[in-house]
Amino acid sequence: MNKKMKKFLNISLLTLVAISTLSLGSCKNEVDEIFDDDAVARLEKAQAEFTEILTSNGGKWQMEYYANSKEPGYIYLMTFDKNGSVTISGKNKWISSVDGGTMGSIAYGSQTSLWEVVTDNGPVLSFNSFNKYFHLFADPEDIPSMNEEDPDETGYGHEGDYEFDLMKYSNDTLYITGKKYGIDMIMTRVPASVDDEVYMNEVVAMADSFFHAKIPYVYINLPNDTRWIVKNGATSILKMFREGADEISTAEEHNVIITHDGLSFMEPITLDGYTIRNFIRQADGSLLCRDDNQTTMTADHLSDILLMNTLRWRLDADKMQGTYASLIQQFASELTAYNKSKFVYAQLDYTGADDTYEIIFNVKRSSTTFKPTFYMKAQRLGDNQVKFTFLPEANAAGELYRQRCPSLESIIQAIGSATFDIDANSLLAPVNLKLSDNANSANSLLWVIM
Amino acid sequence: MKKIQYYISALLLMAVAAMSLSSCGEEKLDDTIFPDVDETLDPASYTYKLDKFLKDNYLDKYNLTFLYKMPDVSTNMNYNLVPATYENSIDLAVLCKYLWFDVYDKVAGEDFLKSYGPRIILLIGSPAYNPTSGTEIVGLAEGGIKVSLFKVNAMRINDFNMMNEYYFKTMHHEFAHILHQTKTYPNEFNTISIGHYDSNNWQDRSVGQVASLGFVTTYASSEFREDFAETIANYIVKTDEEWNAILDLAARGWTSGDEDDVTSEFYCYYYYPDNDATADPVYVRMSNVFIEEDEDGTVHKYWRNNTDKEGNRIVVYDVEDKDGIDGVEAILQKVQIARTWLQDAWGVDLDELRNEVQYRQTHYDINDLRKQVTEIQ
Repeated sequence: MNKKMKKFLNISLLTLVAISTLSLGSCKNEVDEIFDDDAVARLEKAQAEFTEILTSNGGKWQMEYYANSKEPGYIYLMTFDKNGSVTISGKNKWISSVDGGTMGSIAYGSQTSLWEVVTDNGPVLSFNSFNKYFHLFADPEDIPSMNEEDPDETGYGHEGDYEFDLMKYSNDTLYITGKKYGIDMIMTRVPASVDDEVYMNEVVAMADSFFHAKIPYVYINLPNDTRWIVKNGATSILKMFREGADEISTAEEHNVIITHDGLSFMEPITLDGYTIRNFIRQADGSLLCRDDNQTTMTADHLSDILLMNTLRWRLDADKMQGTYASLIQQFASELTAYNKSKFVYAQLDYTGADDTYEIIFNVKRSSTTFKPTFYMKAQRLGDNQVKFTFLPEANAAGELYRQRCPSLESIIQAIGSATFDIDANSLLAPVNLKLSDNANSANSLLWVIM
Repeated sequence: MKKIQYYISALLLMAVAAMSLSSCGEEKLDDTIFPDVDETLDPASYTYKLDKFLKDNYLDKYNLTFLYKMPDVSTNMNYNLVPATYENSIDLAVLCKYLWFDVYDKVAGEDFLKSYGPRIILLIGSPAYNPTSGTEIVGLAEGGIKVSLFKVNAMRINDFNMMNEYYFKTMHHEFAHILHQTKTYPNEFNTISIGHYDSNNWQDRSVGQVASLGFVTTYASSEFREDFAETIANYIVKTDEEWNAILDLAARGWTSGDEDDVTSEFYCYYYYPDNDATADPVYVRMSNVFIEEDEDGTVHKYWRNNTDKEGNRIVVYDVEDKDGIDGVEAILQKVQIARTWLQDAWGVDLDELRNEVQYRQTHYDINDLRKQVTEIQ
């Protein structure tokens, strides 16, 4: 017997022993029964259970839908009927595109199609007839988005799923996973009494309240007092990097969805050791992380927002209170008496140099606008407190009008002598800032972002 | 020696394995793990009427499952596909019956499709795009059993050309595949255009160019089997006018506008600028050629209404047919082979089939056909 033959027989014998062992083991029926029912029965049971879950209590659900990790998520409302139909409603820009809407618009759409819980390796929620407002993300046809960088998506579409593995049900929440592309999503039960269009309008209003295009960035404020800068909020593709870090080399992008009560990341993200995902809108307009109940999302401190060099603020004369309201009315009267000119509005902005700010009182006489301008230094006294100190000189129009209209000088003096506490309409999108005199809060100014 | 050892060893292993398995024989095997298809229909179901129509007209009659609720897993997962709309599914279900199944029942007898028809028809809402080649699949026949019809959501029910091209033709094309997957057609067919197929770049060819080579469509020029199915399907669904237009293209000579560019347009007419035959010829599209006939029957061809320096109209010439193939003859030969094969192998008269389809596809009222579903109680 040569070496090769020996080796071969050894392998054969070993294989025989292995197979025999395996075979014998499998015949002994010593494997403990894990399940009471066989696979078919368990699948059918799961199929029936999930069908019941989906259709019970009115069968209305909110789905937090993500087509892929590069696009925002979108809320859909789904009402499942036991007869196999489902009404799917949404409101977003893609629905507008599908319906031939105008550039940049969003539209509400609702259509009834078919659904079924089918069995594959497990129970699968299948939307198995085409719904033009939902399957649009899975459709391989190109959807013109009408922006300049709109690629031709023909053949690929947005690569969204319409079949979902039903993973878990807990506390009126269904945890699902896209069958083809594997994105985890959430469905939550919604009261049957909810009106789809009203609900979707509220979601859109929520989205509009979160990020304002004029506020260039906001912050994620972690429990350890570090802050992460968040840009591009309005796109729902958040660009994030730690405050003080290099944006280009460290920024990461995460897609989010605006829900009916807040904002969620597509998947949990970890920043400086803190894992966050779901945020709930608070009464002050900020977002509080539901996962740790500590992390927040806000814009910068209000004094920093007011004094941000790139922002301009317009005085809302109708919402001034106390001394300021009286003085501005007096100023308007004096203008009429002086040369029949009219006070149009006042604005506050950065002059562009020497840490100097300015208040411009726009005055219109006939078709000519005059701009009496007063310069001041701003002092940040706290996160929400600021004080202005006017410089002696004004521009030529300022010097003229302060002489002709004494109330203008009084306004300047009043602003210059006060310490202002700042409050905002929303801590995440502080586009209306109320400056109240710290000594007498009845005296206040409302500045609106321009 | 080595080989013998292998066989002995393998036999030993198999014997032991078989013994092991057989020793488990007392274990009762459960029923199939696949759920039974529940054939009882629920009248309360949203889709009851269509389901009832499909059961009565396809499942019970032909043992055919008509799938309009698309399970993605039953398709090629390499493609991004979406299901068909419910409304278009109804339309295609009644049209398939009227233009396909009823036709064969009438021409070939009611047992024909029961024996040889597909067992599954699957409707898919979108085409299966291949973005790399720029092509799309609009129909698929698999294993002589399953026919998939794509692009259902794009149906424009009142656009005859569109319906004909994407759905009616596809039905007959895919069924031709089913038939030849069951009984092969004569190899003689494959020899007619041998050497002129191009499986990689057929989509870049022009209709005129391939017609001149003996193909009814560009897709027919991709390979033998597609040529066969396309020949039958186009012959059945094209109107006389459309069929003659194909033969007209096939009778012409064609030349590329740019020999170095495989995607270049092909032309069958040219003219000389200013009618100067010493100048380089300029190729023109058919749509830009005016054809006039004299009282004595002489045909004149001109380039639009343009004139040369002397005010004479610019004369247009036919491109010489240099491919060495009689395109018309090739196409007619293919039709004849298909005709004979259908008659001999299947007992089906191709021309009778064509006449019946021609009549039906121009005489149907979709609202009437839909009533077969909507009026189910």
